[in-house]
Formats: sequence, structure tokens, C-alpha cells
Amino acid sequence: MSSNRNSFLPSTRREFLSRSGKGIGLLAFSQFAPSFLVESTRAAAPAPEKDRSILVLVQLAGGNDGLNTLVPFEDANYYRLRPTLGIPQDKVLRVSDTLGLHPSCGAMHGLFKEGKIALVQNVGYPNPNRSHFRSTEIWETASSSEEFLGTGWVGRFMDNACAGEPPDGHDPVGIHITTGLPQSFLSAQDHSTFGMQPNIGNRRENEENRKLLESMAAAPAVGADGGTATFLKHTLMDALVTEKKVQRVLGDYKPAAAYPGNPFANSLRSVAALIAAGMPTRVYFVSLGGFDTHSNQMTQQANLLTQLSDGLAAFQKDLEGHRLDDQVSTMTFSEFGRRPNENQSRGTDHGTAAPLFVMGSKIKGGLHGTPPSLRLERNQDITFSTDFRQVYATMLSQWLQCPAEAVLGKKFPGLPLV
Amino acid sequence: MQPALSPSEAWQPLPANEWNSNHARHLLRRTGWTARPAETDRAIAEGLNATLDRLFPEQPTLLPKPRMVARLEEEAAALAEKLRTTVGDARRTLDRQTRERSQLAIQDLTIKWLQAAARPENAAFAKWVLFLSDVYVVSLEKVRNAAFIHEHFDILARNALGGAPELTKAVSRSTAMVLYLDLNQNQRKAPNENFARELFELFVLGEGNYTEGDIKEAAKAFTGYRTRANEPGFRYVESQHDPGPKTLFGETGNFTGDDVIDLAYRQKAAGRFLPHEMVKFYLSDEALPEEYLATLGQEWRNEGYSLRTLVRRFFGSRLFFAPEFRGNFIKSPVQFYLGLVQDLNLDIAPLPRFTINPMRQMGQLLYTPPNVRGWLGGRSWINSATLSARRQLVETLFTPIDERALNADELIELVAARTNGLQNFTVGEQHPLASLAKLDPAEAAARLTSDFIAVSVARDFTASVQQFISAPTPDPRQRSRRVRRAAVAVLQSPEYQLC
Repeated sequence: MSSNRNSFLPSTRREFLSRSGKGIGLLAFSQFAPSFLVESTRAAAPAPEKDRSILVLVQLAGGNDGLNTLVPFEDANYYRLRPTLGIPQDKVLRVSDTLGLHPSCGAMHGLFKEGKIALVQNVGYPNPNRSHFRSTEIWETASSSEEFLGTGWVGRFMDNACAGEPPDGHDPVGIHITTGLPQSFLSAQDHSTFGMQPNIGNRRENEENRKLLESMAAAPAVGADGGTATFLKHTLMDALVTEKKVQRVLGDYKPAAAYPGNPFANSLRSVAALIAAGMPTRVYFVSLGGFDTHSNQMTQQANLLTQLSDGLAAFQKDLEGHRLDDQVSTMTFSEFGRRPNENQSRGTDHGTAAPLFVMGSKIKGGLHGTPPSLRLERNQDITFSTDFRQVYATMLSQWLQCPAEAVLGKKFPGLPLV
Repeated sequence: MQPALSPSEAWQPLPANEWNSNHARHLLRRTGWTARPAETDRAIAEGLNATLDRLFPEQPTLLPKPRMVARLEEEAAALAEKLRTTVGDARRTLDRQTRERSQLAIQDLTIKWLQAAARPENAAFAKWVLFLSDVYVVSLEKVRNAAFIHEHFDILARNALGGAPELTKAVSRSTAMVLYLDLNQNQRKAPNENFARELFELFVLGEGNYTEGDIKEAAKAFTGYRTRANEPGFRYVESQHDPGPKTLFGETGNFTGDDVIDLAYRQKAAGRFLPHEMVKFYLSDEALPEEYLATLGQEWRNEGYSLRTLVRRFFGSRLFFAPEFRGNFIKSPVQFYLGLVQDLNLDIAPLPRFTINPMRQMGQLLYTPPNVRGWLGGRSWINSATLSARRQLVETLFTPIDERALNADELIELVAARTNGLQNFTVGEQHPLASLAKLDPAEAAARLTSDFIAVSVARDFTASVQQFISAPTPDPRQRSRRVRRAAVAVLQSPEYQLC
């Protein structure tokens, strides 16, 4: 009975998902699946866009210290709050008469001077939460401090991006180079996403094994909780289809810039390779961790900002070399900034608002927003002046060409970033 | 997730006359890694209560300090002295050697833990300690010392089935914890809130059951907690402790750290918190409705927070055996790995390349959780990369180790393990699976699915396996190869990821 199974396997993963994910279930894998279903699935897919815009999200996990990233070197309060951690005026990389970047951000400073980096100052949200997890959740779901959302902002973009879904269902709308699926990617509907780890080796693939697994994945889920089994089947089918393609793309890639040798830079190199291969993916997510600098912050943050700055600069140069830079914008985020006054461990505790970076050839570089006031008592935190959802709204509507209000649930004033 | 049982019925003991092989397999799979036929038979013969007594024994199973960890500890003081007096290139070399030593020690610890946990008689207790380590999280990335990690797990194991407040107090003195949450940086004049916050948020109460003020006051009570320089060991430095009054949870007093832990356990939320974590770790991705946790939490609190009582009630309850909790749970990478090893009657190879790398790629490197909240679990275990790593691990277990390709150290380890009786690291030609080749393909396919897979599968699933085994020739050598390859695919299938 299964001799001709392969012939009625869905020809693309999108069909597989559409058919099994929307209640058609078991029918999808019988050879009697009505052909009009398959046809209508195809008809619903929008025409491919030639020059689609791409957003690369860079998570700075742990809570990057904003005050030592963009240093207010003319503010005596800064040096009062940071007696040992304060970066001396003559060490900062100036971006204005009063502000300068951390000395490790040399490469990004260069991009700033070329107008390719926007620095959005003092980004946060009302009633800030100082728990890593809750605050990360707030940033990734784009919720307010009081609401709990089950979907992420990128996931809702995928749900809403009428013109964004790739027509060829094999290709993921979102790719993350992290161990787990970022909360940002959680969506209400099924979308093709793909995850990989930096430095994962080539896998010996066995065609015979793949075929058998395909037919197993195609067998309907039965039992108490079909949802979880169906989820696993989708993921396997996804992986089978996508992994071969991705491995080939990464193996063949010739970057137009030298990347530093660390996992973060490797992740960005992989993103560049996939973009250069013409993947229709709209959002990429990479992560750099270790910013939770409760003690001995000076060297730790310097190392991390070096990785960030050199990695991003190599990525931008690579994209420019391939003439893809007009298509790509890159944005950093972190769950919170850190406490303005340093602690006794030469570190800083969890805080609130911080600056973020948006990089790209089409980005309106320079300083955006207003700096925080540092007239603060001990253990007082910064009050944000730009809501992070204003940045999201701008990138959604101006860059990804998607109705921001539908994704964010309400209107946020945009910024002149694009 | 709305269970069919009411909150008052849910935690009643499963009636003895309902105990059957399906329940036994469920208990073994959820408290341990898998349910081997022999283990299931034994559990049915003994009954539920005796099985629970055996799975969660009076005496904790402690992991002896692995050789490389002991060596690291012995040499630590001398090494620290040497580091102080060395400069330049020599210093860099010494630094590198130190890192390598530490790396070897943690590899040794990881493999020894996996080997011990893989023994069926240790499985449930090892998993319970793993659960506790997922609540009382420390990470090697910050702690950086295998000896401290070993001590932390030892503390968890020794207190695993005693009183919960005693466990929390013991953990507050764990060297790894003191370092991980910066308790050693917590000073009288400048309290560091890291530990106090996680104590309430992630160890005892859960978010929303304390105020920022409670955290600030608690941090003061935990001043004076210090570690020794180069060896595991807690030190309390009286002069660093803030003896003054603190006000938290509406009470004022000259509280110590232990007092704060007692105060936290006096809060209602403490009864619900650990059961909530158990549901997430053992039962379901979806949280139980609040009233179920409240019922269990209230009872547990009234009985004085004995972990043994909680374990017995939870794993012996009607709710635990309810049909809605079958086949709904994705195995963690640790369970996937150790379940495979048990299902295939294998031993854990003492080779990091074959054991530790797969764990990393599957997304659960022991002692290195993603953050202080621990492993997220559930569907977050699965993405295309981690699923592909699971598939790769199955392939590895079916591929003979090429000993010519091993380096000298690895060979020494392999020989040592063999003299200790561990020798079946991969599925060889002589493996019992080979006997399935003599069966009719339909029967062989049915055995492969029923022996390995915890959930019901569709007829099409078994049919694909059968078809694969029978095609294309009846040549016995081909048949044997095809049975092995079919087993590989069954173990890689979506269904095998569930329990």
C-alpha cells in the first residue's frame, strides 16, 4: 500500500503545512486529497518580490550596559555614578560634542561616520521589569509591561505580511542561528522557519534514510495529543527539505570580507551566505550572549563589544561587496540596560533603558532620540524616552512594508530611521 | 490544559486495582528515561507503592568525585600560587593549561554522570536531581570550576528528598551558587541583589509573589556569604554581614539568610511553586489550572514541605496517570540520549566526541543551561538543528567506533571502561536486534514500533517500516541490514521523540 507513497507526498513543505495544519489532517496524505485544495494553496501564495527588504535582528543577551556603550562624556553625573567603570573622555570614540562610543566600537564608529549606523538613544518601555526573562519576553513579544502575549513580534509580522511569505514553501520566512527558537518568532499561524547552530558540521546524509523518514513523517499523528506529534512531523519535514539546501549554500559561499573567527561572526557569515543565495527569508535572528555583567564588567563588555562591532562591520562590508547592502538592515536589541551607578563588584545590576543600533546602507545614520537624564540618586534608574515599539513600528512599516499597527496592536509614532 | 479530574480528585492516590502495565510504563518513562520490558514487569509485580519506594530510595545515590575533578581540586592551590608568580608567555601557557585541565575535569564529570544515570536502578533519582538542578540553576560558564559543579550536584542529591527549606538553605551555601549569583559580591555597604531576586523568582515563590522592596531587604540578610579561594567550601564572614533590621513580607527583624528562606516558605506561593515546576518538567508543557496547584500546594505546605511526600503524592496520583498526559511530552535531549542507551542496551562511551558533542548539538550540554531560568523544555527542544542532531546521534550509536582513528588518551579511556565492564558502546552485528531479521517483515515492523515507541502510531507508519524491511530481496544479509536501518529511522522518527 505504501509502494507509491512518494508520489502523493506533498511536493512542497508549504502544502504539507497548509493541508495538515488547517484541519484537513489525515486527508492530506491520502491519494484522494482533492486537487482543488492543492491548487488553491498555490493560488494563495503571492508573487515573488525581486528586491524584498530583509531585517537582521541581533540580540545582545543578558542586558547590555548602555551608559558604557554610548558614553555621555560631558556629564559629570556619569563619572559620579561610575567612579571605576566610567570611560575617560579621551578614550571614547566621539559621535557628537557630548557623546562617544565605547573604545571597542572602532569598526562601528567608522560606519557611523559613513552614515550607515543609526544610534537610537534611551530606548525602553514604561514600568520596566528587571527580570531577564520577563523583560526579554516583553521585547520579543512587543508587549507592554502588564500584558502577556503568546506570540512574538516577528511571528505576528509573518502572520500579517501579506506580501512577505515566500511562494516556494521550502524556504523559511525566518531563520534563527540560536539553539532554541526565539520567542520573537512564535506566531499564531504555521510558517516555515529554520534554526541552526553556529559551527554545526556537515551531516552525512543518507537518501534511503531520508525517504523512509519522509514517509514516517507523512503518516498522520494519532494519540492523546496530536498537536505535539504534528508539530514534530512538521519540523522534521521542514528540516529534511531545508537542510540540504542550506548546507550547500553555506559550503559554497565566498564572502567579500574577512570575518573574525568567533561563533557570532560565523552566524553573520551564514546570514550573508543565505541572503546572497537569494533565499526569500525576510527576518534573520542571531544572538551574542554574556552581557549580564554584575561583576568585573570592564573587560567582559569590552570583549563583547569588540565581537559585536567587528562582526557587524565585516557583515556590512560583505553585503556591500555582493551589492546586497541596499536590501538589508540590521538592528540590535537587549532586554534592558544596566543600573547607572556601578556596584561594589566593578559591575552593574539590572537597569532599564539603553541605546540600540540600526545598521544599513539605506538607514538614516546619526543620533536619534534624546539622551537620558543622569540626575539620579543611588540605585535610581534611567527613564526611557523612546519606546522600543516605536523602533519596531518604524522597521515594520518603513522597512518591511508591513502594517505596523496590525503587528503591534496599536499605533506608535515612528522615527526617521529609514 | 483542563484535566478531566477535579482538583480534589486529582491528587488522590491511584487505586491499587488500576495499576497496570500501561501505567507502569508511563511511570518509568516519566520518572526515568524509558521503560524496558524487564523493568515494566518488575514494577507490575511489585505494585505502585513499592516501585515508588525503589525509584526514590531513602539513601541518596551519590556520584563519587571523578578522578579528573579530584585532581583539579588537589592541584588548585599550587596552581594559584604559580599563577601569581608567572608573567608573560609562560603565564599565557599556564593559563591555557589551566583551562584545559578544567575542561578535562568537566568532561570527566559529564561522562560519569551520564554513565551513572543510564543505569536503570539510578534513573529516577538521577532525573529528580537533574530536575532540582533545573530549579537551582548554576552554569559552568560562570562558575568555571568542575569541582564546584560536582559539589553543587552533591548538595542537591543529599537534600533531594528531605525538607525543601533545608534544600534551599544548603543551596545558598553551595560554592557554585554563591559564585553564580554573585553572593560573594554581596556586601554590607553595597548589597548585590542577584541571589535574593532569583531566590524568590526562580527557587521558591515565582514572579509576582514578592516586591522589589523584599528583594532589597533580603539581599541585606544574605551579606557575609563567601567561598574559599581554590576549593569548594562555604565561609560565613560575620564582619561582612549586615546584622541590622530588615523588613520583608510584612515582618521586621534582624533576619539572617536562613530566616529569609523560612519567611519565603511561609508564603502561600511557596506551596504552589515547586509543584508548578514539576508539572513543567515531568508532565506537560501546558500549566495546570491554578486550583490544581493550589490544592497540592496547600497539602504540601501543611505537611511541612517534605520533598519525599511531594514526590510520592505527585507520581502516585490519579492525575499523573490520567490519559491526557500520555504521549504529550517531548523528551529532553538527556532523556532522548539515555533512553536510547537503555532501549538499545548500550553503555555510554567514555569519549567526549561521542557523548558530549551530541548533547551540545541537541541543545542540552549538562551544567550549561542557557540562563538562570534553566532549560525551557517542551517544544523549544525541537528545531531543525536539534532534530538533526538527534538523528545524527542515532546514526552514531549504530556505527562501530573506529578505534584506529582514536587518539591515545581516548584509547586509554576506552580500555579502562572495558575493564570496568562497559563495552557495548554501539549496536553491533551481534545485537539482539539482528534476531528480528528472522521474523516476517510485518512482525518485525510491529516489534520495532511497539518496543521503542511510547505513543500510538498510524498504520501507515508501521506499513512504511514493513515495506522498507521487505524490499527488495529476501537475501538474509540484506534483510538484517534493512532491519537495522529501519530501527535507525524508527528511533529518529517524530514519534520516538515523545513519551
